[in-house]
Amino acid sequence: MIEITCNDRLGKKVRVKCNPDDTVGDLKKLIAAQTGTRWDKIVLKKWYTTFKDHIQLQDYEIHDGMNIELYYQ
Amino acid sequence: MGSSSKKYKDKDSRKRRHEDDYEGDAPKDKRHKHKKHHHKDKKRDKSSKHSFDDKSRSNASDDPDIVEIIEDPPQPPPKPHSVSSRPRESPPQNVESLSIEETNKLRAKLGLKPLDVGSGASSSSTGSTDKKNNDELKKDEWGEFYHKPAENLIKKAEQEKLRAKLLEAKEKRQINQKLKKTKTLGESDEEDDIVAWVSKNRKIEQEKREAEKRAKMLEELDAQFGIGEVVQSEQRERMRQKYTEKDLKGITVQHDIDTISEEHDVILTLKDKGVLEEDEDVLVNVNMLDDERYKKNIENKKKKITYNPYQDDEFDEFGNPKEKSLLSKYDEEIDGEKRESFKIGYDNAVIRKKIATESIKEKLAKKTLESIGEKQLTIASEYYNEEELAKFKKPKKKVRKIRSKGKLLTEDEIKPDNYGIESIGSRRPKKNEIDYDIDDVPSVDVPQDIKLEVDKDDILEQALHKARTIKQKENVIADLIKTEIKTEPEEENVDAGNIVLNATAEFCRTLGDIPTYGKAGNREEVDDMMDFEKDIEQDEKSDEDDCTIIEPSGWNSVDPTNQGIDSTQILPQETPILDEEPDVSTGVGAALKLAMSKGYLDKEMNNRPCNSRLAHLQAKHYSIEDKSYGDDGDGRGRRERYMGPVTEFKEKDTFKPNVKLEYIDDEGRVLNSKEAFRYLSHKFHGKGPGKNKIEKRIKKSTQEQLMKKMSSTDTPLGTLNMLQQKQKETQSAYVVLSGNKQAQSTALSKTRR
Repeated sequence: MIEITCNDRLGKKVRVKCNPDDTVGDLKKLIAAQTGTRWDKIVLKKWYTTFKDHIQLQDYEIHDGMNIELYYQ
Repeated sequence: MGSSSKKYKDKDSRKRRHEDDYEGDAPKDKRHKHKKHHHKDKKRDKSSKHSFDDKSRSNASDDPDIVEIIEDPPQPPPKPHSVSSRPRESPPQNVESLSIEETNKLRAKLGLKPLDVGSGASSSSTGSTDKKNNDELKKDEWGEFYHKPAENLIKKAEQEKLRAKLLEAKEKRQINQKLKKTKTLGESDEEDDIVAWVSKNRKIEQEKREAEKRAKMLEELDAQFGIGEVVQSEQRERMRQKYTEKDLKGITVQHDIDTISEEHDVILTLKDKGVLEEDEDVLVNVNMLDDERYKKNIENKKKKITYNPYQDDEFDEFGNPKEKSLLSKYDEEIDGEKRESFKIGYDNAVIRKKIATESIKEKLAKKTLESIGEKQLTIASEYYNEEELAKFKKPKKKVRKIRSKGKLLTEDEIKPDNYGIESIGSRRPKKNEIDYDIDDVPSVDVPQDIKLEVDKDDILEQALHKARTIKQKENVIADLIKTEIKTEPEEENVDAGNIVLNATAEFCRTLGDIPTYGKAGNREEVDDMMDFEKDIEQDEKSDEDDCTIIEPSGWNSVDPTNQGIDSTQILPQETPILDEEPDVSTGVGAALKLAMSKGYLDKEMNNRPCNSRLAHLQAKHYSIEDKSYGDDGDGRGRRERYMGPVTEFKEKDTFKPNVKLEYIDDEGRVLNSKEAFRYLSHKFHGKGPGKNKIEKRIKKSTQEQLMKKMSSTDTPLGTLNMLQQKQKETQSAYVVLSGNKQAQSTALSKTRR
């Protein structure tokens, strides 16, 4: 299990627990459950790389305690 | 931003409360701080305005963008059930997070597998230690995977070394074990024991004997069954079938017999040939074939001259000349290569050698032998001995004698003519020669020496002699004529009443009275001469046969009285423009004068020594360096040498030498200053003028000489003479130049010749 911090820098910051083999889409759903935004409106980014929904977190080398930028579309 | 704003919010609220507390008593203070925290105050005002909004909207941020988003959603977001658990008023980070159980519930709803509790448990607090260790092996505390430590190269090298050492030791052990089996010289003590050795040998002998016995037994058995005969016959058959020397007889070997040496074995193989070819078998040696090919290649590379007519005939092995066919170089190409070959058994080496020796003997018999050692070496003498002198002959001897006789004869022929005229100088040397010849006859020893000398330049002698004889003949004739001419004119000159007729003068007179014209004519000398001749003819017409002079007619028959006046009038006026041609007959002086005027002779030329002519008189070892002034006794300095004498020569006051510098070239011609400079310069630089320049100069000089030799009285083609002759013939003072009388003119030219 890893815990990831997602921050939209607009007042929302959530810590999400998830598995490393979860996909980015799963993470988004979890975030949506916590924040109340619809999951398909969420964009996760790290610098200029936008994470795609179907790829696992471990493949993006997203580890425990990492910060991920949270955007909305 | 959001978070910071929220912090501000909290602060604001607190401050507001604070302000509310001190609203009344600290306006100054506020004002005082106003400057410092102007910005802060502004913000505070702003935030205070929105404070109610913030409280009413729990989730929304105060940013306008976010506000839009919040307004935008058509569906209200699914109300998270975890809201209750969210620590709303949780510490300043304000981070929303769910517990594991809650997330698991959520995940179950979303259709995801539950969280890996084990790892989560480890991170949280108490879990199984081995699992934790396993996880730590893969990952560090940040979740990063551990990397495999880099290989230690030094350790690896050491290991390699160790391994190699071990391997070496192992091999050594193996080899040692192998070697231990064989005995060294020192170790073999067992063999030294005599008894053991003897017994061993006996054993071996016994074994041999037993083996023989066994063999005999077997043979006996074979004999009993009749196998032995069969084997023997088979063997014999095999021997018969064997290919032996007999079979080789008559087979040709395609090599020169000399190349196969007797000392060595030569392996011959059958030469390759086509299957259908029915030639006989030929033996060759592969190596020798290669050698031959190699030799041929080299020959081809040499590129021999194909045609050499001066080549000596080729000789075969016995020294007899080979016959060459026409264009033999192509024989190989046409007939195929010719190869030496012999047949085994037919060619007997002994016979061959005999033939060779015989042929050599024959050759030797033809030649005369000369031994090298017999002749004694002698010192060559510088002189001939008597025998050699006798051998040494001069073949020219006889020839010379005949010639001298001939010469004498010719002179004898001339002599009678010369007798009458002895005054001519040129004859004198000849007389001497004749005398000498006469003297020569009686003596015996002398002539040899003389003859040798004469032989050297007899060609020159001959040429001189010829020239002399011709000259003499001419002289004789000239003298005869001149003596006759001489005598008469004198008589005529004595005659006062003699009339001199001048054709030109007459011509002029008839034309009109132009005296200058007559004077100007340069034909007077010729006329004079003609007058002479005329007179001669008048007097001695009968005597002379040689002189053929055409008789002019008419003029001499004119009345002398009438003519007399004319002649007296004209004669004094006759002074020719050119000098009168001097009469050669009057004497040597006159002849010289003529020669001088004609350019045959030059006044100074006779006296002047020519450089080349006098070359033999010049000192041979003379050079300018001999004049060195280095040791002059005057004691004067070098510089003063050129300053001349200090005091004037008083005794030589009257001596005024007439110095004339003249330069003469190699031919003896006088050079003008320009030419002299050129000549000197060429000598000095040791570099003559070019070929063209020399030719040009020579041409110029020859032209000059020609100019001198040119007749001064007539044109080079002798037209004047012709004109006068024509006038004489036609007896008219004019000449018709029209073309219809061409025949006459040709006749004239003929008579001229």
